[in-house]
Amino acid sequence: MKNRYLLILLAGLLTFFSACKHMPGYKTLIITGQNNHNWKASSPVLKQILEETGLFSVKIMTTPDKGGDMKTFDPDFSKYRLLVIDYNGDSWSEKTNNAFVEYVKNGGGVVIYHAADNSFPKWKEYNEMTGLGGWGDRNQKDGPYLYYKNNQLVRDTSAGIGGSHGKRREFLVRTRITDHPITRGLPVAWLHGNDELYSQLRGPAKNMQILATAFADSTAGGGTMRDEPVLMVITYGKGRIFHTTMGHSDLGGGPSMHCAGFITTLQRGAEWAVTGDVTQKVPWDFPSAAGVVFRPRFKEMTLDEAFDNIGNYEIEKSTKYLSCIQSHLRSLAGDEQGLLNLEKMMVKVLKDKEATVDSKKLLLRELSWMGSDYSVPVINELVSNAELKDEAEFVLSRLQGKN
Amino acid sequence: MANKSSRRDFVKRSAAVVAGAFVLPQIIPSTAFGMGRRIAPSDRLVIGSIGVGSQGMSNMMDFLKLKDAVQYVAVCDVDSLHLAKAKETVDHANKNSDCRTYGDYREFLEKEKLDAVSIALPDHWHGIIYSAAANKKINVYGEKPICRTIKDGQAIVNAVKKNNIIWQTGSWQRSLANFHRGAELVINGRVGKIKYIEVGLPDGNKGIGTPPVKPVPAELNWEMWLGPALEVPYRGVSHWDWRWILDYSGGQLTDWAGHHIDIANWGAGLEHTGPVEISGTGVYPVEGIFNVPVEYDILCKYANGIEMRVANASRLPLGMGTTWHGDLGWVHVDRGDIISASDPKILNEVIGEKEIHLYKSENHWQNFIDSVRSGKPAIAPVEVSYRAISVALLGEIAITTGQTIKWDPEKEEITGNPNATRLLSRPYRQPWTSPTI
Repeated sequence: MKNRYLLILLAGLLTFFSACKHMPGYKTLIITGQNNHNWKASSPVLKQILEETGLFSVKIMTTPDKGGDMKTFDPDFSKYRLLVIDYNGDSWSEKTNNAFVEYVKNGGGVVIYHAADNSFPKWKEYNEMTGLGGWGDRNQKDGPYLYYKNNQLVRDTSAGIGGSHGKRREFLVRTRITDHPITRGLPVAWLHGNDELYSQLRGPAKNMQILATAFADSTAGGGTMRDEPVLMVITYGKGRIFHTTMGHSDLGGGPSMHCAGFITTLQRGAEWAVTGDVTQKVPWDFPSAAGVVFRPRFKEMTLDEAFDNIGNYEIEKSTKYLSCIQSHLRSLAGDEQGLLNLEKMMVKVLKDKEATVDSKKLLLRELSWMGSDYSVPVINELVSNAELKDEAEFVLSRLQGKN
Repeated sequence: MANKSSRRDFVKRSAAVVAGAFVLPQIIPSTAFGMGRRIAPSDRLVIGSIGVGSQGMSNMMDFLKLKDAVQYVAVCDVDSLHLAKAKETVDHANKNSDCRTYGDYREFLEKEKLDAVSIALPDHWHGIIYSAAANKKINVYGEKPICRTIKDGQAIVNAVKKNNIIWQTGSWQRSLANFHRGAELVINGRVGKIKYIEVGLPDGNKGIGTPPVKPVPAELNWEMWLGPALEVPYRGVSHWDWRWILDYSGGQLTDWAGHHIDIANWGAGLEHTGPVEISGTGVYPVEGIFNVPVEYDILCKYANGIEMRVANASRLPLGMGTTWHGDLGWVHVDRGDIISASDPKILNEVIGEKEIHLYKSENHWQNFIDSVRSGKPAIAPVEVSYRAISVALLGEIAITTGQTIKWDPEKEEITGNPNATRLLSRPYRQPWTSPTI
């Protein structure tokens, strides 16, 4: 008996410690309060997106309103591992500016989000951190344009305005550096939801890499016919800055913020800004060039949701639910207990009389390599089902090593 | 290398052949005269084709160009329109109407007495038909990749060796000067010790959705086309597009392994071994019947420390082709006669007499014929091709399972991973059975 209590205590402690391990870690501050965009909508969404990863604990801090006394905005940046700038407005106090620069120089992480690269056109250090910026009378004095033309990076010093965008639309994001921690494992081309494509940005562009670009097609109005940077990484002192030009916000966050590509790159960029690496898996629903993926609740689909839906699959429909399961399978990387749990959920669909033949065929293919003895009796029964006979025999043959 | 059968020698030789050939009442393969499989220079090779769709037809045309060296006698295909077109082409070249046609490779192999056969089929048929041709002791020109699974590949390699036939894989880049030159510079250490290789293969096909089920066209024997693969209703997808469906192919990754991975192995001296550790990620379509990865990124580690990354071209700085990175620089080769280097001087290097001179061929199809005549191996022998496709197939397993695969290149098996081991083969649909190893 005594041992049993000890075990329970031990188990309790383990749970406690593992919970600690997963407690939101990196203290993050979203700075907002003034913007030409709907910051009241975007900031809570940014908070939710970051906290979804389980990696960040996020606080939102607002500056005084336009024309207010900026001396009262005096945060202790050193308490945070990451600052997310959702701000485009009045200059901060010199003290705050200096503290911000010190914070980054000393290794603090920063995310520059959408119109934050419009802000502070005269603040030299800030512009070195964003790499490129737009509007606020930016022009050739602020630095070159950077873009891709014919797959070559161009630094264009010609005179002209800094910052423009065409009509809001879907656009294809093209990954330019595929082995950076942020882009590793992402598709090289994916469609982004309805958004402004920032163009003609200019700035010092020092210590900067362009991770992804998008082509500013002129048919949609106002396009530059250049591949404009949309994701950038910059180093400043010991600090790392992730800069995304995407995510224009309307009421409720706007469609661009629901895009799984925007969400994922923001989450990965934020982690990289803190640690220099990315531990997050590429989500199963990351968009491809074939279509935009929106997440209405900013959340990746769960395994339970996928299983609730997979039984309705027919060959003409999207395989997205299976993709979710496959992606989960792969993320288990051979964990036997995890695979068995998944196998049990798959077998449940096989037993379900309501589930479609097509859904069972898909699951049988997966079971053929990852299944165990647990599946065999159910699959044996499927051999007598004329529609599933071939597939069932295929799986049994493979599971029993007969092939 | 001793392969001295230059084009000029050959033309001289075959001038005599043409005169002789008209006298013969019937084409009898040289093997029928009890000469084993060695063919006298004065005889034309009796040859036929199994699979005369796009690539099969293209290979046939390349052989027909060597008309003084080959005598085409028969063609086999499960599509009667392909068959009719192939017969017409052969008959036109032969100026007669004698080309025989078959819808079933078994009958073709049984009835025809051939010196050589050119085979170009969807990958899921390779295991059975390559082995069957080898077991008939017919020399084979076989399309890459030589197998859909590693077990099929092992069976093919064994059948070729056991029957001591000449094998040439359709890895024709080996017979082009820039690839040969790049590999030869690298194997002779002109970029130092090789540390890292990048192999860029084409980006994947975007897909066609799910076309409706259709009646099978009269010309197509769908049951035979499917063969050992699972039965599925016909949706108008067979020729060419089979390479976007996992039951028949691994997509661009496996389709091109026999080109740029093969070349990578050639230059790096990895032709007779394989990686020891393989990991990878892929992006799959989320709708439609095409289900091969549209993107893939695989990292292989070799026992000697070399790393090889194989990815769809858009993921790599130099895109398509093979890039060998040594401790002194790099060399890149690709189609379109492309060869470049970290320092242009490398490209002017002369390979000394006592250095390694890689096998030289200037015409891939001619090289096969020369090998059949001489009994010396062709430039793309079977085991080397098996090693090239193994890289892609192991990569496919790593992507499918999400696991880092440990491979023993000596024993040719996956270690410590029974789940992944199952993916080394595919069950065959009855009545077909896997070729035995």
